Amino acid sequence: MKQSRWQQATYRHPYLFALLLLVVAFTANLLLQPNLLEPTTLNSNMRVFLPLILVAIGQAIVMIGGGIDISVGSIVSVVNALLATQIGLSGDLGTAGVVMGAALFVGMGAGALNGLFVAYLRLQPIITTFATSFIYAGLALFILPNPGGGVPSRLTAFYRETIILWLPLAFYIIALILVAWGIVRQTRYGRYLYAVGGKADAAYETGVPVQAVQFSTYVISGLMAALGGIAMTLLTGSGNAQVGDPLTLSSITAAVIGGTPLTGGAGGIAGPIIGAVILGLIRNIISFAGVATWWQTFVNAAIIVLALAMPGIIRLVRRRNG
Amino acid sequence: MLAVRNVAKRYGAVQALTDAHLEIDAGETLALIGANGSGKSTLSKVINGVVAPDGGQLLLDGRSVRFESPHAAKDAGISTVFQELSLIPQMTVAENIWLTREPLRRGFLVNHRIERQRTEALLSLFAGTFRADLTPDTPVAALLPDERQIVEILKAISVNPRLLILDEATASLDSRQVQRLFDLIGQWKTQGIAIIFISHRMTEIEQIADRYSVLRNGQTVGEGTMKNAAAGDLVALMAPETSGGAIDRRRLSPDDLATRRVVLQIDDLRTSVLRGVSMQVHEGELLGIGGLKGQVQRDLLLAIFGGVPYNGRILLDNQPVHFTHPRQAMKQGVALVPGDRAGEGLLSIRSILENLLIPSWRDYGFPLRMKRARQHADAIATRLDLKMAGLDAPVSALSGGNAQKVVIGKWLLRNPRILLLDDPTKGIDIATKAEFYRLLTRLCDEGTTVILYSSDDEELIGLSDRLLVMHDGRISSELAGASLTTANLVAASLGVARRETP
Amino acid sequence: MKRLTISPPLAAVLLAIALFLLSGFLPNGFGGNLDVATAQAINIVRLSVFLGIIAAGQTLVIISGGEGIDLSTGAVVTLTAILTYTIVNGRNEQVLPALLAVLVVGGLIGLINGAGVAFLSISPLVMTLSMAGVVSGSILVITQGNVSGAVAPVMTQLIARPVLLGIPGAILIWAVFAALMWLLLERTAFGKHLFAIGTNRTTARLSGINVTGMIIGTYALSGMLAGLGGFLVVGNTGVVHIRIGDPFLFPSIAAVAVGGTLLTGGKGSYFGTMAGALVLTLITSLLTTMQMQESVRRMVLGATLLTMIALYGRQRGFRQ
Repeated sequence: MKQSRWQQATYRHPYLFALLLLVVAFTANLLLQPNLLEPTTLNSNMRVFLPLILVAIGQAIVMIGGGIDISVGSIVSVVNALLATQIGLSGDLGTAGVVMGAALFVGMGAGALNGLFVAYLRLQPIITTFATSFIYAGLALFILPNPGGGVPSRLTAFYRETIILWLPLAFYIIALILVAWGIVRQTRYGRYLYAVGGKADAAYETGVPVQAVQFSTYVISGLMAALGGIAMTLLTGSGNAQVGDPLTLSSITAAVIGGTPLTGGAGGIAGPIIGAVILGLIRNIISFAGVATWWQTFVNAAIIVLALAMPGIIRLVRRRNG
Repeated sequence: MLAVRNVAKRYGAVQALTDAHLEIDAGETLALIGANGSGKSTLSKVINGVVAPDGGQLLLDGRSVRFESPHAAKDAGISTVFQELSLIPQMTVAENIWLTREPLRRGFLVNHRIERQRTEALLSLFAGTFRADLTPDTPVAALLPDERQIVEILKAISVNPRLLILDEATASLDSRQVQRLFDLIGQWKTQGIAIIFISHRMTEIEQIADRYSVLRNGQTVGEGTMKNAAAGDLVALMAPETSGGAIDRRRLSPDDLATRRVVLQIDDLRTSVLRGVSMQVHEGELLGIGGLKGQVQRDLLLAIFGGVPYNGRILLDNQPVHFTHPRQAMKQGVALVPGDRAGEGLLSIRSILENLLIPSWRDYGFPLRMKRARQHADAIATRLDLKMAGLDAPVSALSGGNAQKVVIGKWLLRNPRILLLDDPTKGIDIATKAEFYRLLTRLCDEGTTVILYSSDDEELIGLSDRLLVMHDGRISSELAGASLTTANLVAASLGVARRETP
Repeated sequence: MKRLTISPPLAAVLLAIALFLLSGFLPNGFGGNLDVATAQAINIVRLSVFLGIIAAGQTLVIISGGEGIDLSTGAVVTLTAILTYTIVNGRNEQVLPALLAVLVVGGLIGLINGAGVAFLSISPLVMTLSMAGVVSGSILVITQGNVSGAVAPVMTQLIARPVLLGIPGAILIWAVFAALMWLLLERTAFGKHLFAIGTNRTTARLSGINVTGMIIGTYALSGMLAGLGGFLVVGNTGVVHIRIGDPFLFPSIAAVAVGGTLLTGGKGSYFGTMAGALVLTLITSLLTTMQMQESVRRMVLGATLLTMIALYGRQRGFRQ
């Protein structure tokens, strides 16, 4: 099979396109917002990006395993509702710790339900997680019917304002996850994940526990969504049962822009992190570029569609010319 | 070491193996040979646990064994180089070879250094026969077909098997790589590894095998040592000159053909696998295409039908055409019965009626005249003697032969001028095959031009007016008149001897 | 695998009837009063019309296979409802131009979806979901937060009020629409080709079907039908808000699934979707009557869809 140079380059470096976009978006942002690299600005940006980054990482892992998880946004909402109602604005730190721990288990449980249906009952991932997303969204509303509640300001302050050695807290969290991922990649499980997403039949023939691996990706995705939900709650400090809704599309977009193909078996988590940052930067640019308020959503969405279409367009043009 | 006794296997209506025998000792190379469809692949799949036999025995070291899965066979030391590749394209060479058997450090981390060393050691076996930039870290998707095949072989040998089955493992290798493989087989033999070698290339068999076992129609018909066998004898064992059984077709003579109008002319046709094919086909002619089973014949038929992009010139009734979509070919009266019946020919969950009418719905106006459509479908079903519960039954409920009748029927409904058939009788019982032969004979008599590829050599000899044998993406010889014999076809496809064009 | 002896659409109709009878026994149900029961039945059917028509496009896209799904439906319904509202602005003579406009707008959005899926091989999920974002964005651009306009009297007359023998116009429209959908799926080459590409795209192509064209056409049609849905929705409610279409998205897919259309494509019917729309509307109204909160309603709808796909939607296992 002959491959073009672009194909090979994007194959070997799935983040190439994302990096290119990142450079463009970053430069544009820097021009519009010259103090972008100052610690406080960096911090105020990163703390906003972090929830999506966390959710996108989970989404990417499911996609590498050959699936997709449309319920992540709803899981974020459930966790937010849980935290806002169970910790409360005047809750003590002990309670907060327990509730956050419980929230992680709730996220994993939700992911396990997805995994059960997809991996073991062999249902289609898209439609299954779409169905569960409705169930989880209902659950979030059930816990918190009206926006309200919240977490103590001491907690939000810790999340919002922690800067260690000029770098915001978010950097350390991301670094920690990257290290963890680096280790996972070195294990057999890491290999199995890519094998299952790449060609499940061949992996099965070779003796890879395909279903267990698929199941695990949804549990991980649930866990990451729960972490994203905690970050989101600490960021906003308040409860809103629909806060996670936009994260579903954004997490998929971030993963796809970050070079994770929906066909599975390729990609990583650095790409989706970059993808999530790009999405955030685009929002920044739009608001700093003086785009009229009413146009912002549209421009944002149109740029995303273009970014998603770009690899396809490049391929099409290349085929025409070659 | 391993003995196979009286193994039988039936797939639906087809008896793939009736009575197969095989014995192999440690450090021995056994060539398993037979014509297309003789049951070689089935037998090798019985041995490596992919297929469960209906009857017979497998004895490993004298003990009766039964493999529930390829995995169980692998644990018993039987490793296979599959024809259908079992590699994961997105993963690297090293990752693929050691999948589920990765060397670990600290009990859970993959030890890259050792994995790399071991992979390099394996790759060095074939050093110099593949591109220099092939390293343990190259993704499999970036490899050429021959390199993939090498990795596949290395994956099979990396488990240190007692028995290695090479099923057409040389088909995509070049001569240097084959030579290297043979050198390695020599080494492996001294280490006591037994090897079952399956190949269509007689020269390779003569070179590497110690003993042979010949299969014909699912039955072991001859065994012996290679030293005492001549290629001609083996060919005779594989394909005795027979009358063609159910086939009763009067062949058009070369002179008769020469007087007929040329319907289809192809000049220098090239695709990713065709390397310059030229031919002329006459009105009412049944042209056979033979040669090793592979992508080549399929690509030729698909290119004529507009199903794959190609370079070259095609003239239909002396008019140049260049189909880029099957629809255009269809409009010009060309029809294709594809090789993969379920995957390319049928809509499995839809009704027989709809399957018969897929190409023709546009001709029934708006709203569709269902009564007329049903009548037409009914007429074709009757003409083909389709055995079915009714036109509304799902096509998936039909037997192989009847399902194939539906695929042919959908084109007969349109009265094609040129009918392209890609191995149409694969997996079909004898009675239905005979019906097909009568049908094709009648179609040709009515002036339809038929181009037939078949993996069944007898069928090709019995039916064809002329037979083109393909080799290496080209037409290597043309058999017609007196030269049209099974022996010549087998010889030509194995590359034993080359016949000049008469 | 489990074999169902009755066809899914019939099962859905039976389920709908059972749910309806059940609703009669609720404290404030119709009980034994036949007149009240009839009135309630008509009302349920009337409420199902909008979901039913919006789910029609979804049915086509899902039948077309290739993981086909249209998640832009909700946004398109909102956009076209708003467009209808502003274009008509209370004038009867503007109704037809408005209808034409929403069909064109919906069709164009669908066309872009189809082109993205067919030419750029973007997965339908990603393509239509991000298109939903674009459409929502353009709604904000157009409305700038406030929508002025009004529906025309003739729309209210035809859609919301009884027209013939006490039957609301919406139901009559649905009946005609259903007949047209049946005609499209069962009595045109397009319909036959749609089932073909949904079953096996290689076979379809090798049988002379223009698969790319069919995909684009199907998504365009789905957009148009969502546009028609938006037109009818606003005709019924008489008022519009910028989330008016959102609640239709999830049920539009669930209705198709409940109606027994194969989610992997190639098999299904619009009658099934109609029955599915009835079932979902009944469940919603039942839960409303029982004074269940929105949250419970969502969970029940989600569980319904999950149950349906667990019944119909199993994929093959690894072991053959």
